[in-house]
Amino acid sequence: MTTRLSEVESQTRELTLCLVGMPNSGKTTLMNAITGGNFRTANYPGVTVSLLRGKSKAEFGPALSIVDLPGVHSPVAPSPEEELACRVIEGNHARVRPDAFVLVADATQLERHLKFAGFVAKQGKPLVVALTMIDILRRMDQSVDVEKLAAALGVPVVPVDPRSGEGVAELVKTVHKFASAPPVGSALARIPDEPVSAFKVIRDLLQGSHAVRRVSRLSGLTDSHTTRIDRIVLHRYWGFPVFFLVLVSLFAAIFWAAQPFVDAIDAGFSMAGDLVVRVFPESIIARFIGEGVIGGVGAVAVFFPQIMILFFLMTLLEDSGYLARGATLVDRPLSYLGLHGRSFVPMLSGFACAIPAVLAARAIPARRERILTIWIIPLMSCSARLPVYALLLAALLPGAAWSAGLSLAGIYVGSLLIASLTAGLASRLVFSYRKPSLLAMELPVYRTPRWKPILRMTWARGSSYLRRAGVPIMTVSACLWLLSNFGYVPKAFVAPAKMEGSFAAQLGQKMEPMLRPMGVDWRVGVGLISAFAAREVFVSSMAIVFHVDADNDQTAQAGLLQQMRTATFPGTSQMIFTPSSIFGLIVFFFFSLQCFSTVAVVRKETNSWRLAGTQLAFYTGLGYVLAVASVQALRALGVA
Amino acid sequence: MTETLPAKRLSEVSLNEWCRIDRLEGPREDCERLLDLGFTPGEEIIVTHAAPLGDPLVIRVRGALLALRKREAAWILVE
Repeated sequence: MTTRLSEVESQTRELTLCLVGMPNSGKTTLMNAITGGNFRTANYPGVTVSLLRGKSKAEFGPALSIVDLPGVHSPVAPSPEEELACRVIEGNHARVRPDAFVLVADATQLERHLKFAGFVAKQGKPLVVALTMIDILRRMDQSVDVEKLAAALGVPVVPVDPRSGEGVAELVKTVHKFASAPPVGSALARIPDEPVSAFKVIRDLLQGSHAVRRVSRLSGLTDSHTTRIDRIVLHRYWGFPVFFLVLVSLFAAIFWAAQPFVDAIDAGFSMAGDLVVRVFPESIIARFIGEGVIGGVGAVAVFFPQIMILFFLMTLLEDSGYLARGATLVDRPLSYLGLHGRSFVPMLSGFACAIPAVLAARAIPARRERILTIWIIPLMSCSARLPVYALLLAALLPGAAWSAGLSLAGIYVGSLLIASLTAGLASRLVFSYRKPSLLAMELPVYRTPRWKPILRMTWARGSSYLRRAGVPIMTVSACLWLLSNFGYVPKAFVAPAKMEGSFAAQLGQKMEPMLRPMGVDWRVGVGLISAFAAREVFVSSMAIVFHVDADNDQTAQAGLLQQMRTATFPGTSQMIFTPSSIFGLIVFFFFSLQCFSTVAVVRKETNSWRLAGTQLAFYTGLGYVLAVASVQALRALGVA
Repeated sequence: MTETLPAKRLSEVSLNEWCRIDRLEGPREDCERLLDLGFTPGEEIIVTHAAPLGDPLVIRVRGALLALRKREAAWILVE
């Protein structure tokens, strides 16, 4: 059917083919099958939602540019993802202009999926229906006559199994054939907008065509496989034990399984940094490259293992169908706090690191609940606070390992409670003008995960993080390095030998009046400022300002503790680190958002400085006020 | 056909009992979304599970399993 004209056209311009459909229709798996995994996430200015974009495999003929649009439940009251998808479908997106659509429809839920097809068909662009989940339909003792269905709908219908690749070549061939000559008089385009009559028209259409056949009268109500698993997973007593098992594994994976990789990357980058400094000694530029730049790249790279593992497990949970079940189990308490059932993944990841957690909040389909989840994530006690708490608790409770351990556990539980309280209050006070959105979450059928697509998806999502968040995080850490290594003396910028002369120290000294109420001096202020690069930096910069010389971390920590026990305010014999001031520091780290990387990621994810800036100011301000309050209260009560 | 049971809210219906949607009563935008999802009057639906904490409910509608909060299920009146 290829005419000369369409040949010429396909040579001059690739056709843009958009994959559209409802969530869980198998769109992304189909994307994988058409492109052979050759796709990446694409971000467009003005929206935080990313699309998957790729090229069709060469074996499928002339290249098509394939865009996988987010799944749409209904064009009414949409989430940010649905809004973007609808905008593209209606041709109102400046950068993505579809030439043809493939509507991916779940054969087991034809009525619901064809309802959405009506919306797509009205755009007057060529449309091909890809029928998925035929295997599930067979399991339910039903079958679909594709030719009868195509005749009834007035558009080509191609059965595909994106998981095995069966039917995909046929689908692309059909798209090529119909892209140039849109079929006229499609019955789909005549489906009314109004849902009640739309569903009636679809049902009449399907029944009139006799396309769907049931083997027996009783067959085909449910997928027995899914029903069996749900009996356990949603069970009144077994449901939560299964859920906690999943939670513990998820937590263990992002916390401990990532640790060796994090350590290796950390060690690799500091070795590379040391090497540069050693090869060019005494050179400030070498130090900048070695410590500032390589250190900055390292600061981004250390998050990578956790992010990859988290995205892998999230994709796995999502693909297998469990994520929606888990979300259903915990929706009651979370929705009471103004959150969403799906908030459990980001909140849990927040205990490892706020950055992947903020990215994981994308799985929450509703805007209000997503923002609120992002809002409380910085309160979750992330792993970067761990070395800080370890140092401060060791200073506060010398010799008593068990009480330090217990206090640490208390801090973790406390962070969850405070985060819940904050969410509950914020949803009632701040977000009360926006009503909670509908849950209406689909529980997809369980499917055995396919590893290849999941790994590809993980890579696409993870590398997107590197591109999006990498640059701001690197910039910030390079700037902080400059601040703590350069100083200003009259007439010249210098790199002072001692940290006392640096901008950070000068800033710390300027801040001294603010630090005194917290019971500490400017040297701790330098530690607090440098901790904005990453909280654990507090420990190493404290070691620098208190002149601890040590070869490894172990002795550095011991030496620092020694110094902290004897440190006094300059020129006096007044101790700096008393129980009250150490407690104040713990309170400060508990609340304050000392992580510019998180701020950068929140800025990227929400596409505005408003939430990111408010978060930074609010939590850091709150941390300061509460730290001062607790120090002063403890001192009033007679605690040193 | 002859005897019509009085309408009750979907949130009060017992598990695994087929019922027919009579009408929707709730915030307009949310009801429109429910209609769009397939909860149209006359349609037969069944509550297949309740989450361990009693909320949300899992409902089979037009071949799909959807989780609805009790608050939302209460907008669906069935007979």
